[in-house]
Amino acid sequence: MSADLLHAATDMATPTLEMRGIDKRFPGVIALENVDLVLQPGKVHALMGENGAGKSTLIKIMAGVYEKDAGAIRIQGREADIKSPRDSLRQGIKVVFQEIALISEFTVAENIFLEGYPTGRGGGIDWKKIRADSAALFKRIGFDVDPSARTGSLPVSQQQMVEIARALAHEAKVVVMDEPTSSLTPNEVALLFTVIRRLTTLGIAVVYVSHKLDEVFEIADTVTVLRDGRHISTRPIGEHTNETLIQDMIGRRIDNLFPRQRTAAGTKVALSVQGLSTAKKIRDVSFEARAGEVLGFFGLMGAGRTELAKAIVGYDPITAGTIAIDGSVLAPHDTRTGVRLGIGLLTEDRKTEGLMAELPVYQNTSLASLGTFARMGFIDTARERKAVQEYVDRFRIKTPGLFQQIKNLSGGNQQKVLISRWLMRGLKVIVVDEPTRGIDVGAKSEIFALIDRLAGEGLAVVMMTSEMPELLGLADRVAVMCEGRLTAIMSREDATQEKILNAAIG
Amino acid sequence: MSEIVHPSPARRLAGGRLLGSSQLVLAVILAALCIAISLAAPQFYSEANVIAILRQCALVLIVASGMTMLIITAEVDLSVGASLAFVGCIGMAVLNATHSLTLGILASLAFAGGVGLVNGLVVTRLKVNSLIGTIGMMMMLQGGVYLFTREAVQNHHQLSSFTGLGAGYVGPIPMPVIFAAAIFIIAYVTLRFTTLGRYLYAVGANEKAVRLSGLRSERLKLLAFVVTGLCVGIAGMILASLMNAGQPTAGRGFELTVIAAVILGGTSLLGGRGSLFGTLLGVLVLKVIDNGIIILGWNQDLQMVVPGVVIILASYLDIVRNKANVR
Repeated sequence: MSADLLHAATDMATPTLEMRGIDKRFPGVIALENVDLVLQPGKVHALMGENGAGKSTLIKIMAGVYEKDAGAIRIQGREADIKSPRDSLRQGIKVVFQEIALISEFTVAENIFLEGYPTGRGGGIDWKKIRADSAALFKRIGFDVDPSARTGSLPVSQQQMVEIARALAHEAKVVVMDEPTSSLTPNEVALLFTVIRRLTTLGIAVVYVSHKLDEVFEIADTVTVLRDGRHISTRPIGEHTNETLIQDMIGRRIDNLFPRQRTAAGTKVALSVQGLSTAKKIRDVSFEARAGEVLGFFGLMGAGRTELAKAIVGYDPITAGTIAIDGSVLAPHDTRTGVRLGIGLLTEDRKTEGLMAELPVYQNTSLASLGTFARMGFIDTARERKAVQEYVDRFRIKTPGLFQQIKNLSGGNQQKVLISRWLMRGLKVIVVDEPTRGIDVGAKSEIFALIDRLAGEGLAVVMMTSEMPELLGLADRVAVMCEGRLTAIMSREDATQEKILNAAIG
Repeated sequence: MSEIVHPSPARRLAGGRLLGSSQLVLAVILAALCIAISLAAPQFYSEANVIAILRQCALVLIVASGMTMLIITAEVDLSVGASLAFVGCIGMAVLNATHSLTLGILASLAFAGGVGLVNGLVVTRLKVNSLIGTIGMMMMLQGGVYLFTREAVQNHHQLSSFTGLGAGYVGPIPMPVIFAAAIFIIAYVTLRFTTLGRYLYAVGANEKAVRLSGLRSERLKLLAFVVTGLCVGIAGMILASLMNAGQPTAGRGFELTVIAAVILGGTSLLGGRGSLFGTLLGVLVLKVIDNGIIILGWNQDLQMVVPGVVIILASYLDIVRNKANVR
């Protein structure tokens, strides 16, 4: 099937970029093995796969960050040699990485012409021309960004546009977008898609790296799936369904993304929040969460979910209201008291608020409960590691060992470690903020099962999410937020997508 | 975001092996230095010279033990040199006034611990960057010591127990070396085996995660500042004893030697990573270089130049070795 399509494709036109039989090895790991990727002008080609599938490695080879070990790259039919990011850009390939590589202290226009400023009389930089040219580029992509704005002050969505404008400035033939929507609001995503379509009308081949299925169905013409460094399939999007794509990505079927095992929730109130306000965002929020239930909080970007999560665990200060865990008021309002009373936060931002990246898995797991393994301040490391090993086994955390630095684990396994950190401590209420952010499909269902199990074991789970399927699949009750206020609470039975969205808009 | 998992064996872990591989580079450098110097000057290995080197290491190691803890929490204290001089003057003055060694020592510990406390409060409460906050403290102390005394505070009582602090021996081993060894061992055990030690690494590795786990990250940092201060207090008294006076000009550049030794030992300025064993090697390397320059009869100004080169070189070798591990 895929071979047929490749033949058909080569008949159609000269591909903009052709990568054939690409191999890339790292010590002990085959990152890519005999991978093909063929890009047609004016088409959006989605590149999908789980973490570790090789997507990043492949685009880094395109970008000249890595050198391929074997294989051939042809650009518009001509053999190309890409040895550095500079080569890549010169040959017309522009990769917009997830972590955007602009100089935040420079203006937009300065960033666009970073590689070569046009000079005026006397060799000075022609600032007027730079600004005018920048504005013209933005006009071409149909998106308005102020060329003299300081780049760092712009939201990520606009910084992406600056990167795309840079691509046009270099007359790029291929634009690669690496997980471009991971921090965009729905509106920004729609705008980005408009711009991507504009690029295709200019004859540019777009590579769209993502693991969000709905986006891929909306924007892509063709999908290539990689798994474990191998090419699995390349098909027109029309031949795919959600199921076939997931199956290609993980190599097995997921029958039920939300394996709900729990019976009805209890009635005991584990968390009671009354009239809560914070200086920044939250206004007069009151709700209760019961032991054994998942209370899902939905809200659009900026609704205040993360702010609420941080306030109720005692991390961020509050200006009014009370929080009680199992009847005991959280006072003084700090995390120390919070953890002592039995409430903890599984943070949205694993990297900056959860993981101790350089430290080993076992130390990351035991952080919150280290005291229980100590006598007179001395750690009984044997007992500690044994306890951690139990969690590693129980949750099937994939790690080469307890001493592995946690930064080397996949997102899903890191998340399991962080959940274990709390389970080891023993909580009554766990607040989980976007629990599957940056985690791929296969691991997602495991995290869902874990959350389900937590509630099943009698914890009250407060889940902040912006993903509707996650909300409807897991929550017993749904709370909706809009601009820092609670606008609706409904039971699982009453909750429909429409009702929830209405409440979210306010 | 997809990334490749490098199945590298466990290495460079906090509290991991006694000799992590980053210390290996340093151990090799140290051995090479010793061999090279002793080939050029055989008296390098004389008992007298070895003991001299150890004695010179002692003061640096005492303060570097505290500083290692502090840098592991991702903070730094640049005021230790200025504080060292001030402490000597205060201790000496109190000793003169009270004729009591105990009170003199207590006064210097209180002063130096207080300096550490203020540094810590400035950083954790006022949220001033520790680099800036402790430079401020350094300037205040450098100026302040001259407000306190224009010239060296002489020892009026000639207490033999006081002179013993710096100049005394237990068997062939100088007292300062014994103090340094004791402090080193306490610090080592703390970092390696206790919850406190583990929390210090954790705060440096990710302060927010530590706070979310219900721990008081600011208290931990504050403690590390105070411990560093107390180490300065001990070192200051030993120095005063060695000079038999409180010298306001002492300790110039001492903070750089201490921090250089800690960094050379592989402790990361970003926090969360480091080892006291590395610090010990770092101190030895710097002091062996000092000693080598003296016994080879080289220009003494090289005592600053050569360590500078060594620090850059060792950091570079560490990067090269890390890359070799990953590739």
